[in-house]
Amino acid sequence: MATPVIMPRQGQSVESCILGQWYKSVGDKVSEGDILFSYETDKSSFEEEAKEDGTLLATFFEEGDEIPVLVNVAVIGKEGESVEEFRPGGETVTEETTVEETVDEAPKVEEFEVEDNSPDKRIRISPLAKNMAAKLGLAIQSLKGSGPRGRIIARDVEMAAAKTVKTPTAQPQVQAAPKVAPAPAVVLEEGDDYEIKAIPNIRKLIATAMHQSLQNSAQLTHHMSADARKMMKLRKKFKKEFTEGTISQNVTINDLVCFAVIRALEKFPQVNTHYHGDKMKWFKKVHLGLAVDTDRGLMVPALKNADDLSITGLSSQLKQLSTAARSGNINPDLLNPAEATFTVSNLGNYGVEMFTPVINLPQVAILGVCTIVPRPKEIEDGVYAFVPMMGLSLTYDHQALDGGEATLFLAEIKNQIENLSV
Amino acid sequence: MPKCQYINPEDVRKPGQIEFTPIPVNQYSKTVEEEKANFSNEDLVRIYHDMVVIREFETMLNLIKTRNEYNGVEYNHPGPAHLSIGQEAAAVGMAYTLDVDDFIFGSHRSHGEILAKGLSAIDKLDDETLEKIMETHFDGITLAPVKAGHTGTVKELAIKFLIYGTLAEVFARKTGFNKGLGGSMHAFFTPFGVYPNNAIVGGSADISVGAALYKKVNRKKGIVVANIGDASMACGPVWEGLSFATMDQFTELWEGDMKGGLPLVINIMNNQYGMGGQTCGETMGYDIAARIGAGVNTDQMHAERVDGYNPLAVIDAYKRKRKIIEEKRGPVLLDVLTYRYSGHSPSDASSYRSKEEVEAWEKQDSIEWFGKELVKAGVATKAELEAIKTATTDLITASMKLAINDEVSPHMDLEKQPNLIGEMMFSNQSIDKMEDREVEVNHPMEENPRVKQLAKKERFMFDKNGKPFSKIKTYGLRDGLFEAIIDRFYKDPTLIAYGEENRDWGGAFAVYRGLTEALPYNRLFNSPIAEAAIVGTAIGYAMCGGRVIPEIMYCDFLGRAGDEVFNQLPKWQAMSGNVLKMPMVIRVSVGSKYGAQHSQDWTALAAHIPGLKVVFPVSPYDAKGLMNTALQGTDPVIFFESQRLYDIGEQFHEGGVPEGYYEIPFGEPDIKREGKDVTILTIGATLYRTLDAAKTLEEKYNISAEVIDSRSLVPFNYEPVIESIKKTGRIVISGDASARGSFLRDLASNITELAFDYLDAPPVVVGSRNWITPAHELEDYFFPQAEWIIDAIHERILPLEGHVSSNDFTEAEQLDRNARGI
Repeated sequence: MATPVIMPRQGQSVESCILGQWYKSVGDKVSEGDILFSYETDKSSFEEEAKEDGTLLATFFEEGDEIPVLVNVAVIGKEGESVEEFRPGGETVTEETTVEETVDEAPKVEEFEVEDNSPDKRIRISPLAKNMAAKLGLAIQSLKGSGPRGRIIARDVEMAAAKTVKTPTAQPQVQAAPKVAPAPAVVLEEGDDYEIKAIPNIRKLIATAMHQSLQNSAQLTHHMSADARKMMKLRKKFKKEFTEGTISQNVTINDLVCFAVIRALEKFPQVNTHYHGDKMKWFKKVHLGLAVDTDRGLMVPALKNADDLSITGLSSQLKQLSTAARSGNINPDLLNPAEATFTVSNLGNYGVEMFTPVINLPQVAILGVCTIVPRPKEIEDGVYAFVPMMGLSLTYDHQALDGGEATLFLAEIKNQIENLSV
Repeated sequence: MPKCQYINPEDVRKPGQIEFTPIPVNQYSKTVEEEKANFSNEDLVRIYHDMVVIREFETMLNLIKTRNEYNGVEYNHPGPAHLSIGQEAAAVGMAYTLDVDDFIFGSHRSHGEILAKGLSAIDKLDDETLEKIMETHFDGITLAPVKAGHTGTVKELAIKFLIYGTLAEVFARKTGFNKGLGGSMHAFFTPFGVYPNNAIVGGSADISVGAALYKKVNRKKGIVVANIGDASMACGPVWEGLSFATMDQFTELWEGDMKGGLPLVINIMNNQYGMGGQTCGETMGYDIAARIGAGVNTDQMHAERVDGYNPLAVIDAYKRKRKIIEEKRGPVLLDVLTYRYSGHSPSDASSYRSKEEVEAWEKQDSIEWFGKELVKAGVATKAELEAIKTATTDLITASMKLAINDEVSPHMDLEKQPNLIGEMMFSNQSIDKMEDREVEVNHPMEENPRVKQLAKKERFMFDKNGKPFSKIKTYGLRDGLFEAIIDRFYKDPTLIAYGEENRDWGGAFAVYRGLTEALPYNRLFNSPIAEAAIVGTAIGYAMCGGRVIPEIMYCDFLGRAGDEVFNQLPKWQAMSGNVLKMPMVIRVSVGSKYGAQHSQDWTALAAHIPGLKVVFPVSPYDAKGLMNTALQGTDPVIFFESQRLYDIGEQFHEGGVPEGYYEIPFGEPDIKREGKDVTILTIGATLYRTLDAAKTLEEKYNISAEVIDSRSLVPFNYEPVIESIKKTGRIVISGDASARGSFLRDLASNITELAFDYLDAPPVVVGSRNWITPAHELEDYFFPQAEWIIDAIHERILPLEGHVSSNDFTEAEQLDRNARGI
C-alpha cells in the first residue's frame, strides 16, 4: 500500500519549511535511501531520503513552496495505487491531472545516468572541495564546477573565495584614543551619602563603543572549554627556559592562547573580517586586538600582522603593546577598533569562569579567555580523571556569522590549544 | 652448460640402444623365524605395537567421523580425516629404521606416518632429550595435559604426548603440535623428524628434494623420505622434483665431498587408488609404479617394489637402500604396495571398488597376519598381543578425552586475540646468517673480478654538471642486486642460489656475473627448467633452516610454480604454528619486448596471497637496500625486478649507491619527486615514464606532480601517500600490470577509503590494457605511457587548459571496456 512522505520537523520550534528542490519526478522509481527533495528551515538545509522502495506516485508541492511540517509532501507506492487520501487538506494543489497521467505511464526504461548533466541533479563536488567550501562558508550551490563533467573541484572553491574577499571599501568608524592619563574625576555634586562625578573621557568613549556594539549587532556567546594540559606544559617549558636564560621572553599562557587563536583564524578567514552591513571586509592578515586593563580603563590596542610572528615574537610584541597601553604612550591609531581584525580578552587571571565579552565593532567576534578549572574527563575507555580545562567564550555577531561557523571556529581554537605546536 | 663437458657429435650420433636392469618386485621372502637373527623379540613386538597404535588412532577418527562417537565418548569433528587403515605395515616399516635425524615428509593421509616415525624416534631418544623436547615445545603447552597425573616412564609419557599432540592438532586445538593451525592434513613435529605433511597431492615431492639438498649442502646427518601417493606420480611438480633430484651435476660437476647423489628416498605409499581413480588399470599407465625409476636416470633410482603388507619386507628394503644413500648413490625410489580399507575420506562410499576386493585385502590384514606370525615363531603369546590392543584402546580413549576437552585443550581465542593468526603470518626476524660457521667461497671477495670492476663504476648516474655517465661506466641496478647477494654469500654459509642459467652464464640478465668464480657448485648451480622444482626445492631447503635464492627467469613463468608459490611458500610459517621459518627470496624478473608470454607484471598474484612479502625496486639504491633487507629476514619474499632497468643508474639517492651495507625497510614508499598539485604513485618501471609525465605537466601545464615509488606491495605503509594527498588532493596510480584485478586497483581502493575527505577527484588507475602483450613494436599501446597519465589527469581529475587527449580515459570508455571484458 502507498505511503505518504511528510515534511519532517527539524526541531521543536520549526513550523514550516521551504521546499528546495525535487530530485525525483512523479513516475520515477525510488529506492530506499534515494534523495527525494531538499528543504530548508530558516537555519539550515536538509535532504529528505526515501524510506522505502517504490514509485513516486504524486508530489503535492512545488519547489519554493512553504510547507507546514508533518504535512504530506509526496506519496510512494506501487503504480496505480490511489493517492487521494494523502492529499493535504484540499487546498492549493494544482496539476493533479498531469500527475495522474504520469502515474499511468508504462514503466520507464532504466537508463544509466552518467551522462545526465541537467541542473536539478545532485551537485557533483569533490570531498575536498566540499570541505573547503564548508570552512570558507561558501554555498556550494553558488559554485560552478570546472572539473570532469562539471564536478566542483578545489580550484573552483579557491576562485570563488578569492572573489568574495575582493575590495573592501568601508570606512572604519574612527574612535578617539585617550592621549593623556585621566585627571582625577571632577566632583560635580555632593549629597549626604553620595557624590556625582564627571565621567572621564575614556569612560565616555568606552561607554559609547560598548553601547553601540550591543545596539548595532546581533551578539551571542558560545562557551566551550579546552584541555589545557599541553598549554601548561609548554608554559612550564618556556618558564624554565626563561629562568635558565635560554630565551629572553617569558611566554605567558595568554601568549599561547593568542598564538592558538591566530592559527585558528588562518583556518577560518570568515571570522577575520569586519562587518559593514551590506558587505564584509576580509583580511589577509591577522591584526590581533588585545584587551588590556589599564588604570585609565579598558584599552584594546591592535597588534598588526600578528600571524607573521613566532611564539616568542608574539609574546614580546604583546608585552610591549600592553606596557605601552598601561603607561599611556600607546600609538593612538592602534586603539581604533577598525585596526584589529579580532580581539582576545583574557579574564582567566581573575578567576572568571565564563563571561560574554562585547565585540569591538566592526569586528565580528571576540574571544573571552577564562580561568583554568579542573574538570572530569574520560581519559581512556571508562576511566575518568580531573583535567585542567580552560574556559573559552566566543561572542560573535550573528549578522556576520552563523552559529555553525562560530562553533566550528571555537572548536578549532580548542583544537589548536589542545594540540599546540610552537 | 659447463665448458668442461664436451658434447661430441661422434659419440652422441652413434647408433645403439638403452639397456635397463630388471626392477625387483616383492622379492623379500624371509619368515619371522628367519628374521629372529636380525631382530630381538622386543623389536618385533614393538613393530606390532606401533601398527596397532596407528590402527586404533585411525579407527577412532573413523568412528568419530561416521558415528560421532568412539568408545562411549561423543564428539563431532567437522574437519578432514583421510585415514590409512590398512596401510600400517607400510608406515611402520618405513619409519622403523629411520633415525631421529632422518626427516619424513608426507601427504594428506599421513597420520600413520607421523605416529610411526614419532614412535620410532621415541624409541631411539634418551629420556633426558625426550623430556627436553616435550618441555620446550611451545613452552610445555602440548605436554601439560598429558603430564598431569602421568605415573609411568618418560617413554610412555612421550607416547601419550605424541598421540595427544597429533590428535589435538587434528581437532584444531591450540595445544596441538602446530597450535591447531595445520590440522589433520598438515600435522607434523620436527623434533621427531616429522616434517610437514601436505594436503596438495604430490606437494611433498619437490619440498623433500629441497630438504635432501639442505642436508647435503650443509653436511647434515640423515636422509629424507618423501611419502607421496601412487596417484601423485602423475603430477608435474613431482616429475620436476625427480628431475631435480637426479641431476647429473651432483656426480659429474660437484666437487670434493659434495660429489654424489642426494640423501633421498621417494617413498610411494602405493595404496593403489588416487581418491576413486585406480592408478593401475585406469588413471595411470605405469602398471607397477617402480617402473618410473627406469625413466629418470641411469641408476633407475634403484627402484624396487616392496610388499607393504609385510613390515619386515619394508624394513629390509630400507636397510638396503640406506646403504646406497650412504654411498652417495641416491636418490632411491621405493614403490611400497599397500591398501586402504577406509575410503579416501569418510564421505567416500567406495563406489569404485567391490566389497569382495576390500574383504580380500582385509583377510590378509597385516596386523592380524603379523600377530599370528609372531605367535607362530614364539615371539609373543596371543594374550600378550591382546594386552597390547587393550592398552592401546585405553591410550587412544584417554588421549581423545583430553583432546576434546575445551578446558584442557582450547581452540585459539580469536575473540580475545583477534590478530593472533595475523601475527603468525610472518616471522619478521633479522638474522645475519642462519648458521654460524665458515662460508665456502673460492677467493676473498675483494679478489672477485666483478667486485673489482664495480669499484671503477660511477655510483651516481650523473656527473657534477648533471650529464649522465656512459652506460658502461654507470653502476646499474643489476650491480646493486649483485652487491647485496655476494655480501650475503660471504656472510651466511647456508645461502645458496639456483635457477635457470645461474652459473657460468651468470643469470640471463647478468645479475650473477662474477658469482660463478666466487662460489663452488654446491652454492650456485643451474637447475633444470622446472619452475615448480626450483621453488619447491627452495621451500624444502628453507624450512630445514637454510637461506636460499631461487630465480624465476620471467615473471610469466610464475604460473609454472603456482602451487609452490601460492600454496606452499606462503603457508608454512603460520601453518606450522611458527615452528618453521622461511628465509627465502624468489627473484622474479618482469620482462618486456618478448610478447604475450614474456612481458607480464604479475605482482598482484603474489600480493593477493597472504603470507608473502612482495617488493619491486626500480633504482639501484632501492634494489640493493631492499635485497639486503630481504636476505636479512626470515620471511618469504617475492622480489620483482624489471628487465627494462637492469642497467639503469641511480638518479635519486644523493651521493649514489653506498658501497657499504644498508637496509631499506619493507613497506615504505619513496617520494622520487616532490610536487604539490597531483600525486602519482607507481609500481615498477612505470616510474620513469611517470617522471617524464611529471616534467611535461610542469612545463606545459604548470602542474607540479609529486611522484611516489611504491617500492613494496606487501607490506605497504599508506601514510606517506595519504600525507601527499593531503597536500595535492589528487592521485593517479600507475604500473605495468594489466589494470583489471591489479594491485594498482587495490591501492586505489584503499586510498579512496583512507583519504576520501582529502580527494578532489577519485583516484585514477593507469595500468596496462587487459590484452595480450603485443610485440615490442606495439608495446606503447599496451603499457602505460607518459601521455596516458596526462590524459587521465585531464579527463578524470583536473581538466588541463589547452590539453587535447590522445587516449580515451572517459567514463564511457571505461564502462564499455569493462562490459566487454577487455
